[in-house]
Amino acid sequence: MPVVQFAPFSSPVQPNFWHELTRMKIDVFRLSDEALTVNGSYSVGRSIRDRETGQDIALGCNLSIGGDAYEKTVQLSPMSVSASGTFKNFNTIEDFKGADKAALFNEVTSKMWDSIVNHKDTSVLSQFLLITFADLKKYQYYYWFAFPAFVSKPAWEISENGWKAADEELNSAQLASIHQSLHANTVPFFLVKVVGNTSEMGSVEKLDEFFANVPPESRIVGFLDPSALAENPGWPLRNLLAYLRLHFPAQTSSVRILCWRDSEVPSPGKSWKSRFGVVSSAEGDSATKPAAVGWERHPTTNKLSARVADLAPMMDPTRLADQAV
Amino acid sequence: MHAIQQQYWAVRDYLSPVLKESKFKEHGRITPEEFVAAGDFLAYKFPVWTWEKGDASKGRDYLPADKQYLVTRGVPCLRRATSLAYTDADEDAERLLSFGESSATGNEADEWVETHAGRKPTLDSAANPGVIDDIPDLDGEADGGLSDAMGNVSIASTAGATVGETPDLDDIPDMEEEDLEEGDDEATAAPKGGVSSSGGVLDATQVEVAKGNLLQVRTYDVMITYDKYYQTPRIWLIGYDENRTPLTPSQIFQDVSADHALKTVTIEAFPHSASLQAASVHPCKHASVMKKVIERMNAGVVEEQLAQRKAFGPGTPKENKKKWGFGRKGSGKDDKGAAGEDEEVEGMRVDFYLVVFLKFIASIVPTIEVDSTTAF
Repeated sequence: MPVVQFAPFSSPVQPNFWHELTRMKIDVFRLSDEALTVNGSYSVGRSIRDRETGQDIALGCNLSIGGDAYEKTVQLSPMSVSASGTFKNFNTIEDFKGADKAALFNEVTSKMWDSIVNHKDTSVLSQFLLITFADLKKYQYYYWFAFPAFVSKPAWEISENGWKAADEELNSAQLASIHQSLHANTVPFFLVKVVGNTSEMGSVEKLDEFFANVPPESRIVGFLDPSALAENPGWPLRNLLAYLRLHFPAQTSSVRILCWRDSEVPSPGKSWKSRFGVVSSAEGDSATKPAAVGWERHPTTNKLSARVADLAPMMDPTRLADQAV
Repeated sequence: MHAIQQQYWAVRDYLSPVLKESKFKEHGRITPEEFVAAGDFLAYKFPVWTWEKGDASKGRDYLPADKQYLVTRGVPCLRRATSLAYTDADEDAERLLSFGESSATGNEADEWVETHAGRKPTLDSAANPGVIDDIPDLDGEADGGLSDAMGNVSIASTAGATVGETPDLDDIPDMEEEDLEEGDDEATAAPKGGVSSSGGVLDATQVEVAKGNLLQVRTYDVMITYDKYYQTPRIWLIGYDENRTPLTPSQIFQDVSADHALKTVTIEAFPHSASLQAASVHPCKHASVMKKVIERMNAGVVEEQLAQRKAFGPGTPKENKKKWGFGRKGSGKDDKGAAGEDEEVEGMRVDFYLVVFLKFIASIVPTIEVDSTTAF
């Protein structure tokens, strides 16, 4: 059976975030390079139909971060959830380059693992790490995201049937009722219990109680899927599976997964975008903290390296003056 | 000079009075209240649009504090507008066509000139309906390729400037830290090649570059603000390339139809942020264009309402009165203000203003899919 391949997060940073960082660096942080908590968000995966070729094009598995990242709560668009992260801004490019990134990463993953083990906390599952250096005079921002994910050994495998459209497994009334409850209260991870033509939702923390007396074929674990690729569920599922294996090993030899990708109920004639699949994994050692991966690769070179956002064309007053005729 | 101009606009904006009475059918202008109503409708109908409060210090007191402007993020843009438009580049590709015997007689009057002869036809067919472009305005022929030329000029100059002054970090090899993670993780989907064809969904990074018609998936954040001076909505664009790097102004102009780049679309300070700059469509002509569109649509809507009244007879509640010209299949009807409609034909309601506005904006930025309303 093929190994499940997860679509990694990518990081669109809104220019507002850099503007806000510039302001914070000058007015608030000054010379401090203490780690802070920032908030981003991700929404259901989106795809667009190209009008010339008729193909569906998936639009990246995005965790975006905007100008309100430093505030306690971020403004969320419908069908999106917030994700918090550790943010560290370095004072010099040398500090940025020389930083012990492995140690920073380990610190974050240890904290995550700790709250997963001790607090059964699902809110830490989509944590990220962001390190930056802001060259304020040149309007250049060096940054590197990491989206930690615990590596499962042995790896999760997808059943022979593969990933299929959710409406092949659930009928549209059941899907609509899931949509309704997610629309009212959008959560990153949830449980679904199918009862007749409706489906009841529960929280992942209470899996044992929620699934008590429910036959295995009616149990579904769902998550808000930022990926739009047919065969690749999004990154958050990785940590969710690690969480399930740790806390509910008895129930997770085989898990029925719903990748929720519909922001609205499809109009008649169109199909649901959500995907469904059954993943399974052999027993593994769940007690020790697994290794973690997740540094974002550079999109053009596909190497592990930092990126730079050059905002001079949009921020440098002299460059803007040239533009304005 | 530009800074002075912007200051002047800010002062003018500050001094101009807030529009109090509705003029949307007479002038195409709307009041802030109507902007909020239309925005509420847009956000309700198409949830990709959400209200933002923006920078508190920049808040406008004639708008509710939490409804300062509308935003939708990550609007895809598959192709460059320059690849759709007829530009001056192929203006010279003309050839004489002659028809039949008349040319044999040497009658030059019967010869036709075919312009843009070298241009390949787009792939429109019944099976593959493409985008129908606006016919380029002949008055603007001198400016047709301006965005092209402008794009080339500034790209060249920025490249020259940045290579000299600031080396691109991406090229510095010691920033690579391949040893940070050991080996390839088998459970990570590869960005390229890890895409199956069975689902028929392509990864944006994997889209083939079609010949002569680049398919680079850019995304845009689109904002709609209320412009107090022109009393119309105003649209703002912030773009990202396929690697999610912010676009430069000249790159943004590639997505603006040639008739509008650098004429009505310029880079301005975004009014609800302290420092943000964004591309904006200047609103000076919005009101008159909107008036024309609204007049045309209003006639259609009134006609339909009258027809319905005849069909149902007076006093019948008209469930379907919101069906209108664009073949919108109403799912979930707007249930506001149904009272008293039997007395007189109401025509188009101001709630639709922003929906119509987006269709108008879609003609200025043809490849940015701002008009999610067509999906209905």
